[in-house]
Amino acid sequence: MVENRPLLTFLSHLVLILGVISVALPVWLALVASTHPSSAFVSGRVPLWFGPDGLSSYIKMMDQGASTSGTPPIGQMMFNSLVMALIITVGKIVISMLSAFAICYFRFPFRVLAFWAIFITLMLPVEVRIVPTFEVVANLGMLNSYAGLSIPLIASATATFLFRQVFLTLPDELTEAARIDGAGPMKFFWDHALPLSRTNIAALAVILFIYGWNQYLWPLIVTTDESYYTIVMGIKRMASVVDDAPRWNDIMAVVVMAMMPPVLVVVAMQKLFVKGLVETEK
Amino acid sequence: MQTKKTIFRSRALPYLLLAPQLAITVVFFLWPAGQAIWQSFLRQDAFGFSTQFVGLENYIALFHDPSYLNSFKVTAVFSISVAGLSMGLGLLFAVCVDRIIKANRAYSTLLIWPYAVAPAVAGVLWWFMFNPTIGILSYALRQMGYNWNHATHPDDAMILVVLAASWKQISYNFLFFVAGLQAIPQSLREAAAIDGAGPVKRFFTVVFPLLSPTTFFLLVINVTYTMFETFAVIDASTSGGPAQATNILVYKVYQDGFVGLNLGSSAAQSVILMAIVIVLTVIQFRYIERRVEY
Amino acid sequence: MADIKLTRVEKTYPGASEPSVKGVDLQINDGEFVVLVGPSGCGKSTLLRMIAGLETISSGEIAIAGRVVNDMEPMDRNIAMVFQNYALYPHMSVRQNLSYGLKNRKMPKAEINRRVDDAASILQIGALLDRKPRALSGGQRQRVAMGRAIVREPSVFLFDEPLSNLDAKLRVSMRGEIRQLQKRLGTTSVYVTHDQMEAMTLADKLVVLNAGRVEQVGTPLELFHQPQTVFVAGFIGSPGMNLWDGDVRQGNLVIDGVEVARGVRAPDGPVVAGLRPEALSLQTGGDGQFILSYVEELGSTRLVHGHFNGQPVSAQMTPDQPLDQVMRMVFDSADLHLFDAATGARVNSAPAIDAASTPETV
Repeated sequence: MVENRPLLTFLSHLVLILGVISVALPVWLALVASTHPSSAFVSGRVPLWFGPDGLSSYIKMMDQGASTSGTPPIGQMMFNSLVMALIITVGKIVISMLSAFAICYFRFPFRVLAFWAIFITLMLPVEVRIVPTFEVVANLGMLNSYAGLSIPLIASATATFLFRQVFLTLPDELTEAARIDGAGPMKFFWDHALPLSRTNIAALAVILFIYGWNQYLWPLIVTTDESYYTIVMGIKRMASVVDDAPRWNDIMAVVVMAMMPPVLVVVAMQKLFVKGLVETEK
Repeated sequence: MQTKKTIFRSRALPYLLLAPQLAITVVFFLWPAGQAIWQSFLRQDAFGFSTQFVGLENYIALFHDPSYLNSFKVTAVFSISVAGLSMGLGLLFAVCVDRIIKANRAYSTLLIWPYAVAPAVAGVLWWFMFNPTIGILSYALRQMGYNWNHATHPDDAMILVVLAASWKQISYNFLFFVAGLQAIPQSLREAAAIDGAGPVKRFFTVVFPLLSPTTFFLLVINVTYTMFETFAVIDASTSGGPAQATNILVYKVYQDGFVGLNLGSSAAQSVILMAIVIVLTVIQFRYIERRVEY
Repeated sequence: MADIKLTRVEKTYPGASEPSVKGVDLQINDGEFVVLVGPSGCGKSTLLRMIAGLETISSGEIAIAGRVVNDMEPMDRNIAMVFQNYALYPHMSVRQNLSYGLKNRKMPKAEINRRVDDAASILQIGALLDRKPRALSGGQRQRVAMGRAIVREPSVFLFDEPLSNLDAKLRVSMRGEIRQLQKRLGTTSVYVTHDQMEAMTLADKLVVLNAGRVEQVGTPLELFHQPQTVFVAGFIGSPGMNLWDGDVRQGNLVIDGVEVARGVRAPDGPVVAGLRPEALSLQTGGDGQFILSYVEELGSTRLVHGHFNGQPVSAQMTPDQPLDQVMRMVFDSADLHLFDAATGARVNSAPAIDAASTPETV
């Protein structure tokens, strides 16, 4: 700030407070709705303050689920989401680190070709090749499995580029010193490249966890067995079925549970999250 | 392409390290993409019994199909609205936070968390708020004399998906604008202040022009976001309706392919979308290359 | 302990039109401290890295302790290296940095601890063993880098400009320490630097490199007093040697038509004549060929810069000697170094330390 202008500072605070409130409004309403009995919505207006039911909708949904819509208990769906998100996170980091290491630290025939093959995945989001990818997964018998939910999503050009960038900034002398100290390629990877990328890995993990948890279209098409439903896709099934006799409290309880894990991750690891976001876009 | 000066010597190891990534790339990316291209030249009958090579017919049919052309228009309106709204608000919040010395971390935290909310959840949340019977916002609008119903009014539906998609994206734009603002040297603003420019003039003559690389970058990212990642927003709120009013290109691929089982047309649409992503990616990378040179 | 023998060693980088190191022959004896010195790009670092095994050898042969090591991995050559930027492992403590190479060689724990503690006490870094490198000052990092080399008890130490990231004062003291340490351990050492002062003070044997070739090998004093090429003459010594274009005509040195020395022992022809600033004195008296430009005060001496017939001249004098705008240049013709103008090779015999004095005045 160059000069002190109380009015502008006041205006800034005002804008930000309004912004924070309007950004929070949808979630506030969901939280509030989830604490009312379903009868509270009959009047035709959504309540603005917490109701008498407290966490009962959560508890009910956690172990029963919405039986009318044929979804399993939310606990099961949350678990599925967690497994999918973790496999995607760990899988992407592992295979991207290994390929970035190969591309940076070796010279071999078809190296540039491999790089471009990985690069191309950037241009093929799952949404545009949805039908044939589904067919491949179906032919491989991977429908309704954790492997089918996660493996097709773990190729990552972005993460590979990120690790390539990280490795390129490691000084050459470090590698030379390690070689003189008797470290071969995999020992160097394990003893030096990996520990020195720790914060990058953590930052990337935050972003990838959110990415994995929030997957929607892919689980929607590769799962027909409800025991593999993830919570984010399950919401839709639930919401569309209960439309006739809307149990808004239950739906909103599920919505809140669906967004809690990634939101908590962002709030708790804000610094890593920002670092991850900025780095993956370079 | 850049490598390290110091490298390791091994014949098999690099291929072994690359194998998992390349296997997944080939099986789940390149092969399906190739399939999409191949299928876009075929036509299947409704029961999938016979397949026939039809050349460019699927493409030609698409560009004569009013619903496809409409989808283009819908996508354009949707993209531009979301990019404009979320970038505008993101920039506004970023500028405000940049002015404030105290509490800017707290504000940042309170503004960035929606990034973590799944697009599908965002769609449900806004659908709930605008629900014609119990939604708080439709209630407020009714009080003001507007009878909101996104299930029947195309414009209402578009506004709903734009708001839901923008809500989630503001945090992203906010973060990058904050970073962009912080990268502008304080001395430049001080020099402008000494030259007699007030805060508003300073913003438009010094700060905003210097933010233009960030703005351009975000524009590309936001267009990509609205074209592909908003699938879940649409599916969870309007399902493309009413009367195709929110049926964006990527949603139509899914509908025609999975719901309508019109594989040839869906494949042709996929190929057109791929072409669009390729253009966007190339623009993005051109831009990054240029930025690196600074 | 080991000697190192380089035989016609060449290095051509892929895509380069010319080799960076051209047919270098060099014998480094056991226990010797050899300094490779030259301007940047002369190939000195490449040569060192080929000895280390960090660069492949395009042709020729390198042998350490009689074993040809051309195709040997760095870790098998029994060498240790100290890098310019220290190359300490940033995520490891000082103790881990020192012991890493020993662990990789599967040395027993007790032996590792003994060596690390020994090295730490030699280098006085015992108190730093649990710190990470980023918590160390430049000088301390330098010591740790040295320690990492010492614990290995290698047969050869390689130093790649290890002092150039330190400030001037620390550089001088570390220089002394390296010299003492090497004497004490008696380990064959190869040291690369571009700083001729550092080279002169450290070396048992100095190797001057220029454009990938060895210009001259010798003790620091040999190189100083008997430079065999005009490049070495100009490179070694501070302040730098005066180098003038001239001609030898029947035993006389003529510069721009002025006869400046008689009885020089060199064949007729165009030459570059060299004279150290400390071998030149200036006399006041109202006449002479030297025109004063400016004076640099160095405290105990002063450096007087001027020119003579358009060619730059420097002389090192004591501050009590009077100065004038125009002065006479006085020197002993035995101190002149004459080099062939075309090839740069020395043409007069080197001045003997006690050569008959033939004073010249210009």
